[in-house]
Amino acid sequence: MASGAHPALGALGPRVSGLGWLKSLGRHRLRTALSIAGIAISGAMLLDMVMLSGGIEKSFAEMLLARGYQIRLTPKGTLPFDTEATLSGAGELIATLRRDTAIESAGAVLGTSLYGRVRDSLVTLFGYGIQPEAQSLYVLESGRDLEPGDSLSILLSTPAARLLGASIGDTVMLVGRLDPQVVTASVGRRLVVRGMVHWVYDYRGQPSVGTVLPVMQTLANERARDRASLLIVKVRDDRAVNEVATRLGTAFPRLEVNSVADLVRHFKQRLVYFRQLSYILGSMSLIVTVLLIATLLTITVNERLGEIATLRAIGISQATVIRQVLVEGTALTIIGGALGIVLGIATARYLDSILTSFPGLPAAFSFFVPRRESLATAGLVLLVTGSLAGLYPAWLAARAPIAATLRAEAT
Amino acid sequence: MAIRLSHWCCLPAVLLAARLTPAAAQIPEIAVERHLARELGLSVGDTLRLGPTPDTVATLVRVAAVYEPRPDPAEIAKRERHLRMHVPDLASLLRLPDRVDRLSIGLNPGISSDSAVAALNRTAFGYRAYATAAIASESSQTFLVVSRFHRAIAVITIVASAVFLLCIMLLKVEERRLDAAVMRFIGVRRRTIFGALLLEAAVVAAFGSILGTGLAYLAGAATNAYYGRFFDTRLIFSLITPELVLFSVALSLALGIAAGALAAWRLVHTRPLVLWGRG
Repeated sequence: MASGAHPALGALGPRVSGLGWLKSLGRHRLRTALSIAGIAISGAMLLDMVMLSGGIEKSFAEMLLARGYQIRLTPKGTLPFDTEATLSGAGELIATLRRDTAIESAGAVLGTSLYGRVRDSLVTLFGYGIQPEAQSLYVLESGRDLEPGDSLSILLSTPAARLLGASIGDTVMLVGRLDPQVVTASVGRRLVVRGMVHWVYDYRGQPSVGTVLPVMQTLANERARDRASLLIVKVRDDRAVNEVATRLGTAFPRLEVNSVADLVRHFKQRLVYFRQLSYILGSMSLIVTVLLIATLLTITVNERLGEIATLRAIGISQATVIRQVLVEGTALTIIGGALGIVLGIATARYLDSILTSFPGLPAAFSFFVPRRESLATAGLVLLVTGSLAGLYPAWLAARAPIAATLRAEAT
Repeated sequence: MAIRLSHWCCLPAVLLAARLTPAAAQIPEIAVERHLARELGLSVGDTLRLGPTPDTVATLVRVAAVYEPRPDPAEIAKRERHLRMHVPDLASLLRLPDRVDRLSIGLNPGISSDSAVAALNRTAFGYRAYATAAIASESSQTFLVVSRFHRAIAVITIVASAVFLLCIMLLKVEERRLDAAVMRFIGVRRRTIFGALLLEAAVVAAFGSILGTGLAYLAGAATNAYYGRFFDTRLIFSLITPELVLFSVALSLALGIAAGALAAWRLVHTRPLVLWGRG
């Protein structure tokens, strides 16, 4: 019922005129404050869990697509850098892929452990062999990039540069496989540092170096068989990715062909625990919110039964009473939810800092990604649930027997 | 030595070859883990061909045993399948004669592992020695992170529960406004009313704790049943220890009583007429 629609409203004040919910909430400040605090914490938990459930795959997909390469080819049965398996004849495979008119760019990558010589000792490094004209692994931070065929240069990550004590322009000595029987390195190369790069898939503090594929194959003793860990493919038209991936799968039966969507699916399967945990904790947050609002409103309605019966006796409609109770629940939800969003973003940062310390996890990866859609989803779910939680107390208020309640109040 | 079946996709072809090949007496023997044996329909005595790459699946082997793998939480989500074979057979299969990934060393009694590791690393070239404890510590990092995450979630849950409990207790005690007013009118002392309300809060908290413990056991059993079936493992995912139950019950009792005390204190310090609604 709109304000002023009933002659008695003027005498009753704002309670039924639209701001009644505010006065009702203000009547029991501690109770209201605690309810809002409870809803805020539940809302924060819900937001965190919404972020966790969707953030993992989104963060992973973004990382994989950072340089626009949508397809990976790896040895059959493996995922990129999941095992030490390599595929042979990389050059021939890349040449075949580059002849495909649907493919804009294709490159090979070899990952291997190697050593850097620092004075008279060796430090362990991770080496990437890349084709500079088609790479998806790094972003240049300073210095200059490798040129295709530049077999005298190397790119370093900051941790690798620190470990080797090298900077741009310095020469570093890389050593391949060590042979304990003859107490010597099987192969070594002197390379000039051309640039400092950020390796997209490195974990925090990983000392990685990169050079052109043939040099890394030589260091890894894989040159003769032209081996690579994976091939990367950029398809011209994003809409054709699945079709190209299927075609490549048929054309190369001894390789595993995965689009980014396939890799995300594999990754989701491995992190199924966190997704399920997010669903369970998110549901529990909603249950707590419903219980809090329903309990608070039910007790408030019970306390105000006399008042509600009086209003009903002077002609205030059931719909107005129901609306007042529902608005009160919605107001609690909105205030608590707004606080919950702030709290949720803060706790998400903390929880993300814990989970991203997983050993071997790429530093660019996040579990909790605050996005507009996450905020909207959490807010909407909380709002709908909180509003619905007022239904039972509203029903109680609407069904209050007027005469009996007034008689009980009078005595 | 265990081989990780990273090329598992080639196994159907391998299986086909096994069906066409009669069992031979002098061929290498392998042990196949239960999951893999079930997935490929293998049993003891079957033969199959293995190879390091899909185009070199040629080495004939015979299944000598089907084994139950040791439950390993680090491997569970990967769903990789393993088989075991003798080191020389595997080295020959991989064309890496006399090479191994790692060596295990048992020390004589009284020799410190730290000093042995230091001595080996001083003379090592091409390998690095680690004490078992160091490897265990390194490989348990993942679970330490998961534990930290669980602890953080637990803290948030406890804070949420505390607020919820405080709110409910406040409402519960406030429901007794009229009773408290009547008691005050007839001369019952504040302390007595406070004690009665506190006792009521303690009883509610105790019942809640018992119910919560029962719910936790049910949820734990459901979690173990679900994930046990989901991952086909005997690992225990939810473990409710007596210490955990004691801690949870003590915490909920303390929180419940504290919340009840706060609410009761407010009530007994409110004027009776206000409690009666006429103040």
